[in-house]
Amino acid sequence: MQENERPRLQVRGISKQFPGVLANDRVSFSVAPGEIHALLGENGAGKSTLVKMIYGIMQPDEGEMFWNGQPLLVSNPKAARSRGIGMVFQHFSLFEALSVLENIALGMDGSLSMGELEKKVREVMQDYGLMLDPGRVVSSLSVGERQRIEIVRALLLKPELLIMDEPTSVLTPQEVTQLFETLRKLASEGCSILYISHKLHEIKELCDTATILRGGKVVGECNPAEETSKSMAEMMIGGSLKEISRGEDGALGDVLLKVNGLSLGRNHDFGTALADISFEVRRGEIFGVAGVAGNGQNELLEAMSGEMPAPREDAIILHGRPMGLLGPNQRRKAGLCCVPEERNGHAAIGDFSLSDNAVLTARHRKGLVKSGMVQGRAAEKYTREIISRFSVMATGPMAQAGSLSGGNLQKFIMGREILQVPEVLVVSQPTWGVDAGAAAFIHQALVDMAQAGSAIVVISQDLDELLALCETISVINEGKLSRAMPIKGVSVEELGLLMGGIHGTEETGERDRVENGAEKNGSGGIKEGKADAVQA
Amino acid sequence: MNIDITIAIIITMVGASTPLLLAALGELVVEKSGVLNLGIEGMMLTGAVVGFAVTFNTGNPWLGIGAAALAGVMVSMLFAVLTLSLASNQVATGLALTIFGTGFSALFGQAYTGKPIALFDSVFPETLTEDRFLRVFFDYSPLVYFSFLMTFLVWWFLQKTRAGLILRAVGENDHSAHSMGYSVTGVRYGAVAFGGAMAGIAGACFPLLLTPQWVEGLTGGRGWIALALVVFAAWRPGRLLAGAYLFGLIATMELYAKAAGGAFRILPSELWASLPYLATIVVLVLISLRRTKNSGAPACLGKPFMPNN
Amino acid sequence: MQFRLEKRAEVSRPMLYLTPVAAVIITMIVGAVIFSLLGFNGAIAVREIFLTPLTNSLKWQDLAVKSAPLIIIGVGLSIGFRANVWNIGAEGQYIAGGLAATGVALITHQMSGWWLLPLMGIAGILGGMAWVAVPAFLRVRLNVNEILTTLMLTYVAVQLLNFLVFGPWKSPFSFGQPQTVMFNDDQILPYIIPGTIVQAGAPIAILVAIFAWIMMGRSIFGFQVKTVGTAPDAARHGGFSNRQTVWITLLIGGGLAGLAGMLEVAGPFTRMVPQFPTNYGFTAIIVAFLGRLHPMGVMLAGLVLAISFVGGEVAQTTIGLPNPAVGLFQAMMLFFILAGDVLVRYRVRRVYHKKATGRDSDKKAGAEAGAS
Repeated sequence: MQENERPRLQVRGISKQFPGVLANDRVSFSVAPGEIHALLGENGAGKSTLVKMIYGIMQPDEGEMFWNGQPLLVSNPKAARSRGIGMVFQHFSLFEALSVLENIALGMDGSLSMGELEKKVREVMQDYGLMLDPGRVVSSLSVGERQRIEIVRALLLKPELLIMDEPTSVLTPQEVTQLFETLRKLASEGCSILYISHKLHEIKELCDTATILRGGKVVGECNPAEETSKSMAEMMIGGSLKEISRGEDGALGDVLLKVNGLSLGRNHDFGTALADISFEVRRGEIFGVAGVAGNGQNELLEAMSGEMPAPREDAIILHGRPMGLLGPNQRRKAGLCCVPEERNGHAAIGDFSLSDNAVLTARHRKGLVKSGMVQGRAAEKYTREIISRFSVMATGPMAQAGSLSGGNLQKFIMGREILQVPEVLVVSQPTWGVDAGAAAFIHQALVDMAQAGSAIVVISQDLDELLALCETISVINEGKLSRAMPIKGVSVEELGLLMGGIHGTEETGERDRVENGAEKNGSGGIKEGKADAVQA
Repeated sequence: MNIDITIAIIITMVGASTPLLLAALGELVVEKSGVLNLGIEGMMLTGAVVGFAVTFNTGNPWLGIGAAALAGVMVSMLFAVLTLSLASNQVATGLALTIFGTGFSALFGQAYTGKPIALFDSVFPETLTEDRFLRVFFDYSPLVYFSFLMTFLVWWFLQKTRAGLILRAVGENDHSAHSMGYSVTGVRYGAVAFGGAMAGIAGACFPLLLTPQWVEGLTGGRGWIALALVVFAAWRPGRLLAGAYLFGLIATMELYAKAAGGAFRILPSELWASLPYLATIVVLVLISLRRTKNSGAPACLGKPFMPNN
Repeated sequence: MQFRLEKRAEVSRPMLYLTPVAAVIITMIVGAVIFSLLGFNGAIAVREIFLTPLTNSLKWQDLAVKSAPLIIIGVGLSIGFRANVWNIGAEGQYIAGGLAATGVALITHQMSGWWLLPLMGIAGILGGMAWVAVPAFLRVRLNVNEILTTLMLTYVAVQLLNFLVFGPWKSPFSFGQPQTVMFNDDQILPYIIPGTIVQAGAPIAILVAIFAWIMMGRSIFGFQVKTVGTAPDAARHGGFSNRQTVWITLLIGGGLAGLAGMLEVAGPFTRMVPQFPTNYGFTAIIVAFLGRLHPMGVMLAGLVLAISFVGGEVAQTTIGLPNPAVGLFQAMMLFFILAGDVLVRYRVRRVYHKKATGRDSDKKAGAEAGAS
């Protein structure tokens, strides 16, 4: 990074107001040519809003920007692209039914014919090692491949600044390494990169400079190489990290949930089939399911909740009772509750009041319906209990679920299920897109619940979360679940390989294999062995 | 079967198919942009009455067709403003459009009951149109050739042009298209207007191509059948042509059943009259049984889009 | 300065109730203007259509007669629409119900007894249900769109009606007229208010609406319907069967339309004729939306639409306004109510365009609403 050059991009005093929240508050920073510059911050810190203004999707209320020393006004993304600003979004803007080439063409300004474009695309792919077949239809590609389309699309414009918004959240560790190589090559050619993330180790590994945002304000700038992850994390969160408190690691109890060779066909065109999934969870245990998005997590959750019943009765056994063929209501009555990933529209209904949302899943266990009639008072009372016990910020039980922030809605949903005190709780992405405070609260609630004697399954893409919460972890990949591993003694590398679909590594201990086999046989004799493994 | 009767049946079939094809082509483009306009029947009726009135008063069917297209665009804009700018429910708004068109055409058609209008002159010389065999190619209204041309143009536009690619992208993923800087609402306004023009022309086909007089509710649900055809064709113009002709044939059978005696007489005429509607249901069932991986339906079909949310 | 729509966090209650009223008023104003431009006396046309039926007490019984089928069908449709089930072929189910009731009446023509009318009522309900069962089955089993199938079956119902009254059911005493024999005295609804033409339809409509109100507002079934219609995935998660909901809501809609058909054929018509389809099934769609898909709203909306029908007849005789003009007014009403929907879910904000370098510290006008 050359100190004395004019900055490629300079942002001065940018502010942006949304109804009820100041998303950016006089933000300033600058990026030098060829620099990889991190924007570090939690979800909701204002990173995405900031780059959306740089890319012209939104306009700032105040402040100014300079591009190579000249004032920069970007009224729309097209203008941004014409100035040499490219962006790769966290959620890809791809068209499933169109081909790779058509997708790329849509991102271009249309001066090239399809034939010429295809030639250029192949050149760029060659140069940066981003291999893809331009004729493939996007719906048939993996997440990593889809991201490559976005990168190729950005690179074709020969950008001087490339904005990457949380690019690794959906990638395997190996794909991340590949991505970093591409980014380093780009930077070495003089392209500046604005890298948005909340993952500290990535930023330490990749970035030259980091600007840290909290609550819409710049709270610090640093050289990540000279900082520790802990010091950056404290700047990002604004206080010392709160540890999850748990009591002594007691021995785990009896098996509450047993999944037995569960297989399910795909439920729709882009779904994933589940193949022969087996695991068991004991009283007091938190069992983690790691994996890259789209590898069958949603299907697993729906198979557990009863939204997609299993083909066999004994595929799912709850405390000795076969559940496989039952629907959601009977499973809930029996003590198996679930929280799906998608908050709005699946776990809850944004257009309904919180009280009605309580009726949605708690009506059986909490007696909210009597002789066919909804008991409004009882539902409100239960909702009030959730609101107060889980510190949900809401105007009351009649508040519409859609008016709550993501974190508050998630706390409400978790509270709704946890206060029903189910024997088994299965949650998917419990803290996805939730602010740090709410995440810590939810984690604590899960730990407390396990210690009170429930069995919990946490499906998450966030490895750090699983490593902090779980006693046991396994990895789901293309609908197959790896063997269960005690959290102590498992390495991130090993998990990464499993997430990337590489099974049966050399390190796998003989004992684990035996244990895995024993699980499948469903014998009760493994009780001690498993408990040993956890305590070891 | 007698060759002359065969040729007569083909000519009738082509005529009966043309309004279906035109209306369905318009709707295909509308749906490819992600909008479901159920108001085809209403736009057709509006086009029919305007086309009739202008042709009657000017004596020029070309002006009639132009006016019908314009009327179709105008009523389709009612739909567009409501669904695209005000994010109203597309199903309900489409129904409103049909109810509107029904009332509008009934109100303004009354004055024209029993009055004759001028039709198109043939585009080809008499030696071709009156030849016993060649008439099967040449003895048609210009509207028929127009429908062929439009089938090709719609295919070419959607598959070969950049504008067509953008339109498909908008129907596939509105939010992505918006974030890439394309005007989702603008593209959809354009598509709805095109659909309106095509439905207007399709409506005008009834007096100007099929029966040259005013009959209230003359479209008889053809707008709805056009809607089913788009599903049947898996949103592909080529298949739409085949589907429209299949339905044209069924409708023609009704006419010949009425005229012919013998075997056709055994079945009540009401059954023949029900045939196009029953066939539509059968076709919808067959499509759903086919269950191919990709039905071709645009992913955003019928979903309202508001850029600020 | 310009205006921009901003999504509300919660739907606006006042707008929910005000917009239907506004839709009716705006329809009256715009209608007056349009019909004036068309060469009629617009103001008088509006007065005749919307006010005369209310001010002239002789017309009140007409309103009761006309609104009953609209309310009964409208309530049924509104339950389906709530569940996102688009039965738009109520006209066909209405005809099927009327035909089923007629069939029973013809079979029992030589009999007498109080039980004949209830039997015809049940036949009407079952007839409507049978007509909607095909679309329901196809939707649930094969995912065939019910919009098209219900509508197509309406055309088929019309043909079936024609076949029957021109053929097997034609009365031998009708001098060639296509119609059935007149029902016997025990097969015709009695007048419940002496000296008027009000029959059982009106009180039944009120009962249907009240029952639906309780069911939709308080019961778990109503909750299920709303959940399935608003968020199908959440409904599945909550243990509500989508298929069951589709079946039940369609059967309710078809059954009520069939009941309305029976009440009409055994009421004002007293026999089956080709003129039996009077578009009640289609107009009920407007009724359902104008009534905000709420049973009590539907009752009021049914009355409003009945007013326009009765008023249309008045205007036809007094100022020669053609009958289809009423259809245009009704369509306008539906347009305005749909346009008004936007105010329920969005608020209109004035925005001032500012430069990116804006000195203005007033941030309230910040343009784009709710970042994703």
